[in-house]
Formats: sequence, structure tokens, C-alpha cells
Amino acid sequence: MKTIYKILAGVLTILVIGLTIIACSSSKNVHVNATDDEFKIEKSGAQYWGETCNRCHLAPSPVDYNDTDWETISLHMRVRANLTDIEINKIKEFLKSAN
Amino acid sequence: MKKLIIVLIAFVLGSNINAQNNDFEFSKTQFMIRGYGHTGFNSMSSGDEKESSYVGSAFAPIFLFKHSDRLMFEAELEFGLENNELEIGLEYADVMYVLNKYMTVRAGKFLLPFGTFMERLHPSWINRFSTRPLGFGHDGIAPASGIGVELRGAFDLGGPKLNYAVYSTNGPRLKDGSDEPEEAGMLLFKNFEDNNTSKAFGGRLGLLPFADSSMELGFSAYSTSGVGNQDSEYENVGAFLYALDFSFVKQIAPLKGLIDIKAQYNNSNVDTATFIETHEDGDVEEYSFDNKSNSFYTQLSYRPIMADSDFLKKLEFVGRYSNFNAPEGAEWEEQSTQLALGINYWMSWRSVIKMSYQTTDKEGGHGNVGITKIDGFYLHWAIGF
Repeated sequence: MKTIYKILAGVLTILVIGLTIIACSSSKNVHVNATDDEFKIEKSGAQYWGETCNRCHLAPSPVDYNDTDWETISLHMRVRANLTDIEINKIKEFLKSAN
Repeated sequence: MKKLIIVLIAFVLGSNINAQNNDFEFSKTQFMIRGYGHTGFNSMSSGDEKESSYVGSAFAPIFLFKHSDRLMFEAELEFGLENNELEIGLEYADVMYVLNKYMTVRAGKFLLPFGTFMERLHPSWINRFSTRPLGFGHDGIAPASGIGVELRGAFDLGGPKLNYAVYSTNGPRLKDGSDEPEEAGMLLFKNFEDNNTSKAFGGRLGLLPFADSSMELGFSAYSTSGVGNQDSEYENVGAFLYALDFSFVKQIAPLKGLIDIKAQYNNSNVDTATFIETHEDGDVEEYSFDNKSNSFYTQLSYRPIMADSDFLKKLEFVGRYSNFNAPEGAEWEEQSTQLALGINYWMSWRSVIKMSYQTTDKEGGHGNVGITKIDGFYLHWAIGF
């Protein structure tokens, strides 16, 4: 059991360090090819809302909370459901625009 | 000099009043109470024994205090009526801070990402049944929450998505049998003040391979090098737990509805230790066993959301199979299987009436001998708010 514990602790430490480096690395100087972005089809907030919320519970009705409430709920759900930055921001904007 | 001071005070006050009048903004500091509750009726039979009861309302308020766009405090209380008493529990209470797009740190008492059931699916307005699968909850092997610190986040891989969580907590404590001999060898996850210096480390990695996020595969691990009390013979008894979870949620046009499949396998492996059993005649006997447990559940639900009838659209048909195997040789040795079938009626996205039938075959468990068959009928109303 000691060996498994040490391996897990080591893997988690490496994971934390690696994630920190990746997450904190700057993307300011990365060259972006504009033509690639032009043809990129981005999902709407409504699509993210339908796909993401239903993974655990029925998708909420936008009209049940006001904009201020959706700000608070979005931050809570971002962490609780471990959503990506894009997912939660798009869902939040959709809910605020549709209520 | 006095005139100068008066002029400065007048200027400062004037500018403040001006700001209050003209620069009104919504406060970024927000406080909100959400939560859920449920109430219902249970009827159970086991052999010749029958019992039925209206079960009191359970109420779980969630307090959200948003300090800024990055900082939040969240807490959930649980009020329930059990054994003719009001029981109050602190489900979680933690502070979280969004470090950047990919990292959020949490500290306090938080729900553990060990699989997905306890972290995401257990609230009564989310759980499709009135009961939990075998292996979760009281005497379960899957940890629900812990006190410590956690780092979590998610990455968009250009279609597929990856989410992660790594944490360190006080870890579980070992029941050595001194208080409850029939539970010697079990792990107790309510370890609010650490009973030793060993901390638990764990994490979960989740992969959503498809761009529509319909499927998620997860692997969780949880390990500690010591679960016994400090300076006791059990201090260096270690434990390693892991879980595999699966989720598939997708609207399927030919079926005119939404399919939701969930599954989770839990495995617990605790180092072998020697415990003491005192017989009725006063004789003392030492015993040990291979302390390995596992549990599994899978659930399938179907909602005909594309049906023509408004009534049918609100129905959900759900089935769940679960099993639980506790170590052979332990006082709490058990092999159980459970099948549950139910129909739910969704009054709204957060209010559901759940009706289900559940049958459990239980062999052993806390000194019981033979197979016990328990049938149950449950009618519950759950609401999220």
C-alpha cells in the first residue's frame, strides 16, 4: 500500500506542476492564423446549455432567475460540474439574454 | 490652513455624493440561497415484517456568497428527520477562487470528486430515485466529502474536453472495533479532526471524447498511508480506493426522447490488520481478513421529450442495478444486489414526483446470517430551488 501511496502522491504532484505550467503559460505571442478562425464553427450558448446542463439535471429555464442570480449560479456550477471557461461563459450569456 | 482643509473635505464629500448619484453599478458582491428538499412515502417488507411511513421533509439549503467574479464561498446544510429526531449536517463549506481559465482552488469541506454520484448526482431533485445505489451513503465505501484543499479545472481540446481535480484531505479513519466491534475494519470518512499525521491524496480525471459532450469517462483514485489513530497499532494501515465512472446523455430522434446512462464502479483496498472479537462467554479472539470491498451501479433513464403528448413529455422511465460486496471474514461481510424500477413525472425542470419499486437481496451484513430479501415502494416529491 505504501508503494501505491507514493506513486499516487508523485503522479498528483507532477500533474499539479504540469497543469500549473500549462495554465499559466502566456498565449500572447502565439501566432493565430486568421483564415483558420474564419472557418471555425462556434457553438452557441443555447447549444452548450442544452448539452452541458442535461449531463446531470434537466436544463434550467432562463426565466427562473435574473441576470445577477445567473452570475452567482454560473460561478457555482463552473466549479461543481468542472466546466470549461468557454462552456460556462457561453451558457451564462445565453441565460442572461433569454430571461 | 483651515479654509484649505474645509475646501478639501467639501471636495471629497461632494465627489462621493456625485459618484453615488451618477455612477451606480450593480454590486459584484452577491448572496443567494438555493438548495433542495423532498418528502414522501415509503413502504417496505422483509419476510413477515412490514412497515410503512410518511417520511419527513428533508431540507438542504445551499448558501452562495459571491465576493467577486473569481471568489466565492459556498455551504450546504442538511436538515433531516431520522429516528424521531432532527438531524443536522454540514454537507460542505468551502471557499473557492478561480486562478485562471484552467485552474480553480478550493479549501474547506468539499464534496470529493470520487466518481460522479456523490459530487454531482446525489441531490434529491437530480437523483432519479428516492434512494442511493448500494455502496453509497451510510456504511458505503465511496467517500462523499473531505476537509482539505483542492485544485480543479477543465480544458477544451478543440472538441473533446478534459477535466481534472486533485486534492489532499484529512483522509478517513479506521474503525478499530473498540466502539463498534461489528464494524472493525471499516473506513469512516467523517474525519473532521485528523486522527494522525497522514493525509489522503486523490484526484479524478474526466474525458469527454465527443464534441457534443454526450459521453464522459472518469477515473478517480484516493490513497492514504495511514488510517489508524496516531500511536496505535493501526497507525500505519494504509488504504487505496479507486473508481471508474461513465455517463452518456443524448437525444435520440428515432426513440423520440433523451437517453441518460450512468455507471460507477468503486473499489476499496485497506491493508490487512488484526482485530479483536470478544465472545459472549468472555473469550477473546484475534482475527484478520482481506479488507477489500467493491460496489457497482448502472442506471438507464428515458424521457420521451419529442413525444406529441404534453403528458408523455414530462414522464421519465428509469431502471437501476447495483451491488455491494464487503470483505469475507469481516463482521460486516455482505453481498448484496439491488434492482430498482421507477417512473418520474417532471412538473418543471427542478420539481419531480418519483415513484419506484426496489428489491434488494442481502446476504450477511452486520452479523446477519443468510439471505434477506427487502422489497420497497417509494413515492417522493423532490424540488430544487
